[in-house]
Amino acid sequence: MNETVRCAAATRRFISRGLAPLTAVNAVDLVVHQGEFVAIEGPSGSGKTTLLGLLAGIDRPDDGTVSVLGHDLARLSPLERARLRRTKIGIVFQSFGLIAALDVGENVALPLTLAGVDPATRLIHARAGLDEVGLGHAIHARIDELSGGERQRIGVARALITNPGLVLADEPAGSLDDETGSRVIDLLERACRERRASIVLVTHDPASASRADRRISMFDGRLIDGAA
Amino acid sequence: MVLVRHAIRLVIREPRRTVTSALGVTIAAALLTSVVLFGTASGATVTKRALATLPVDAQALLAPGADSAAAATLISADPAVTAVVPFGLIHFDSASLTKAGAATQTGTGVVVGVGPTYSATTGLFGVSQGAAAPGSITISRDLATNLGAIPGDAVTLRLPGGATVDLTVSGIVDTTGADLLLGPTDAAHRAVGANSPTNVAVTDLATAKAIQAKIPAGATATDPATTGNAPSGGSSVVVAPEAAVRHEIDVRYDHSQLPGDPSSAQTWLDQVRRRIERQAGGTITMIDDASASLEPVAKDLAWGQVLFIFLGLPGVALALVLSRFAAESGSEATRRHAALLRARGASFRELLGVFLGATAITAALGSIVGAAIGLGLSVGLFGSELATTNAVVTVGLVIVLAVAATTLLATLAAALPIRDQLRHEVAAGRQELQRARRPLWQRLYLDVVALVSAVVVYVLVGGSGVHPVLNAEGNPTVSLALTSFAAPFLLWIGGTLGLLRLIGFATARSEGLAGVLRRPLGAGGELAGRSFAARSGAASRAIVLLALAFSFAASVLIFDATYRQQQHVDASLSLGADLRATSAAPVDAGAVALVIGPGVAAATPFSDRVVYVGSEAQDLLAIDPTSLPATAPLADGFFQGTTSQAAMAALVAQPDAILVSAETAKDYSVVPGDRLRIRVPDAHGQLREVDFHMAGIALEFPTAPKDAFLVANLSYVAAQTGDGRITSVLARSDGASTAAVRDRLGTGWTVADIGSTTARLANSVTSVDLEALVFIDVGFAVLIASLGLALFLLAGLSERRRELATFLAIGADPGQLRAAITGEAGVVGVAGLAAGLVTGVLVGITLLAILAGVFDPPADVPVVPVAAVAAVGLAVVVGLAVAVIVAGGVLSRIGVIAALRER
Repeated sequence: MNETVRCAAATRRFISRGLAPLTAVNAVDLVVHQGEFVAIEGPSGSGKTTLLGLLAGIDRPDDGTVSVLGHDLARLSPLERARLRRTKIGIVFQSFGLIAALDVGENVALPLTLAGVDPATRLIHARAGLDEVGLGHAIHARIDELSGGERQRIGVARALITNPGLVLADEPAGSLDDETGSRVIDLLERACRERRASIVLVTHDPASASRADRRISMFDGRLIDGAA
Repeated sequence: MVLVRHAIRLVIREPRRTVTSALGVTIAAALLTSVVLFGTASGATVTKRALATLPVDAQALLAPGADSAAAATLISADPAVTAVVPFGLIHFDSASLTKAGAATQTGTGVVVGVGPTYSATTGLFGVSQGAAAPGSITISRDLATNLGAIPGDAVTLRLPGGATVDLTVSGIVDTTGADLLLGPTDAAHRAVGANSPTNVAVTDLATAKAIQAKIPAGATATDPATTGNAPSGGSSVVVAPEAAVRHEIDVRYDHSQLPGDPSSAQTWLDQVRRRIERQAGGTITMIDDASASLEPVAKDLAWGQVLFIFLGLPGVALALVLSRFAAESGSEATRRHAALLRARGASFRELLGVFLGATAITAALGSIVGAAIGLGLSVGLFGSELATTNAVVTVGLVIVLAVAATTLLATLAAALPIRDQLRHEVAAGRQELQRARRPLWQRLYLDVVALVSAVVVYVLVGGSGVHPVLNAEGNPTVSLALTSFAAPFLLWIGGTLGLLRLIGFATARSEGLAGVLRRPLGAGGELAGRSFAARSGAASRAIVLLALAFSFAASVLIFDATYRQQQHVDASLSLGADLRATSAAPVDAGAVALVIGPGVAAATPFSDRVVYVGSEAQDLLAIDPTSLPATAPLADGFFQGTTSQAAMAALVAQPDAILVSAETAKDYSVVPGDRLRIRVPDAHGQLREVDFHMAGIALEFPTAPKDAFLVANLSYVAAQTGDGRITSVLARSDGASTAAVRDRLGTGWTVADIGSTTARLANSVTSVDLEALVFIDVGFAVLIASLGLALFLLAGLSERRRELATFLAIGADPGQLRAAITGEAGVVGVAGLAAGLVTGVLVGITLLAILAGVFDPPADVPVVPVAAVAAVGLAVVVGLAVAVIVAGGVLSRIGVIAALRER
């Protein structure tokens, strides 16, 4: 089975002046296979989001290695990591991460915009993506005209528009009520399984985590079980 | 006390917010301090200049029988006095010369008796032809012309009381600058503007004493200017005649002790005068010529105040807008602190107190730093002109006022936004994303109201608003009323708000911008275009700030360029051309050939003689209309209802044509075509009636006095009077120095150029060199523009931290975001510079219209210094580039994970 993610002893420390060093991610070993849905659970401050940042290539480990879709992130330049995120990794944020200056269609097509795809092609892909999440009619709507659930569905559509091999979701239902949140997780799961994309879901919500193929607990920067 | 402690803590603990907020007020204080100090220095400069050319600061009139030596000793003992020289003046009733059997007689005049050191001490009565010799006289050019006298001739003077005295002429003396000494000394005569005599003879003290002995005690002068007849144009004031003999000690003061400000200098001079008079116990009456010279200067300073207000205060206002910009960029920190304090139970009133207190402290700190910068700049640029006796007090006062004013204004400017922010408790960034309601002024159309009101006020107060008027002495001075400022103030407010509305309208509809920017800047450009429309409020404010800063710089440059041009024209007009060679005595017109040579492009003969229109003496300028236009400055504005070319053509076409001044045309009710019979002196000084035909009205003419003059053909005047001699040669310089021309001409000639004439004319504030003020204004304008854009970009980064972090998280590379910032800065820069150029030209033209009275002669069209304006534009572009680099640096330091977690 192909590996989408491989972390080997990945460690990330934060040093603040006047405070003791904080090891947010401590020697984490983690493998995620293609098409696998992995949930990382843990209380606030356990290091989940920091780990997600390492997997996205936004942050870099102080020790150990992180490989995503066959790329050792430490060996990539910032530009190459940005390109990898733009084309192969989809990210869903707890607070949606939508750009208020752009309309719904433009938000969904944002990764394509950054990739230099022409506006007409972007529109076609954005419409298809929005149809998939049931919001095709709102393609020209403003973000502040939409509900929280609708906004997160747009976030999901944006994360999937480039057909990524890996989707990283940071508490995607955290800002939503249980029912809406559950529907968003359903949507994310279904779309990823159709694309055989791997999902790493970071959450402290057991209900959301229960949908995963594999549940991993994280505490004080360490993965407790289910990592491999 | 608790609130103050909190406010101080807020200032100390948020150094970045403090520095940013203080930026605008620092610039405002620096600008205000340097502009006001420039005004102070200008006052000191004009005081120095007004007195620099004054030969004598005071005349100590001796009572009959007073001991001259004792008086000189007493006066020279005063600490303010540096030199004393005796001076005697004796009136004569007439002067005559009999030569070759013909007798020539002229009217009243004066004999001046001075010691051997007088000329060296005062610079007066230099001998231009011949030499001074004991027992003989040197005579003025006018007396020589009137009598036809030359050195070696014997002149007979008829004295009051009937006695006569025969004196040999040993030379020609220059009486330039001696008007106050030669004229009457009593206040009544001076108040009615009595003329000083032109028939002047100068001799030594012993000879003067011998002449005086022939005049009976108590005799009075018969000169009409010193008797009960008021001169033309004066009121019907009847004044007592002057005594026939006057004894005085002429005094020079130590000018380094003078305060800089003309009014303070007058007070100081008055104190010295009183001190000497008190010690003299009634034997001396001091005539304060220095104070009299400062009188018009003190009034001229009114123009300076107008100039400084229009050229300096818009910059201060802009800097205060910048301080509000800076305060807005710190709104995120304000929100954070407010939330903390609120959580600890602070009420709205307490919060307002803390934040306003912090703002006031920050503004005070910024003002103090700014005032120090302004002082440093002023010392560097015009420090020597500030160094007067009371400079420390003056500078201290200016600094205190600048700090107080800018602190107060900056606090007031920030008060409303802070109150609104605390009341709504919403981050500025979120406010940007909401469909904000239009500001109150837009809904009330205050911009339109202000613009319409400006036009109405402009029409009601009568055009330019600032008018020269004649004071009691008949001197032009400036009338300033608050209404003068109402129209430009309303225009400025209305224009700014109108610009804000227009640009806001355009930026809110800038959807197409994304496509335009995508081509050169890629995806980053497209993002910039989208973001621009979303941040239209902030973007339009940045554009307007940049536009106003650039227009401020451009308008100041346009004004300065026009001012400099008119300064040159004024000097050129007074001199008559680039160079003017004047002979000590009338010479043949062939002297023009002597002037022409290397470095002289063209030359023309010129004769200025006193003629009589009816009983009134006027200057007749006899010219060669074919060669004059190539030599002297002639503008269409010099002539009423015609062009300069047509006026000269009329003189060429009709030998007896004459151009008259507007005053003459009005006084004598003459119109073009009318015949004028004028009495013109011939070669022997006899007046001959010559007929002319009026060809037009000249408002100004090279070398001409402002009031009454006439311009005619030299050849016609020569033919009618038999006297073709000229008094001077005007030349257009092509690099020739005065020394070179003087060498070609030999002795007996004085040569003046534009440089020396400009310096001579620079005795009022309207002749002050604006270079330092322009440098300060333009420098600060560039700084304000650059900082305004930097704040716009940095505030954008601060407001959109999460948005930018999202871009980075989903795959934007830093280069794309830098391109987005460059795109935003580029649009603001292009729009701001374009709007600024247009408004700058408009404001420049308005300034010229409002301050038209500063210019003499008025400017036909404003001068746009293209290179200087382009240089400022380039400096602004460099400032924008620096702002983009700074913003790029901030962008690279955004912590993506941390920013994504922010709520």
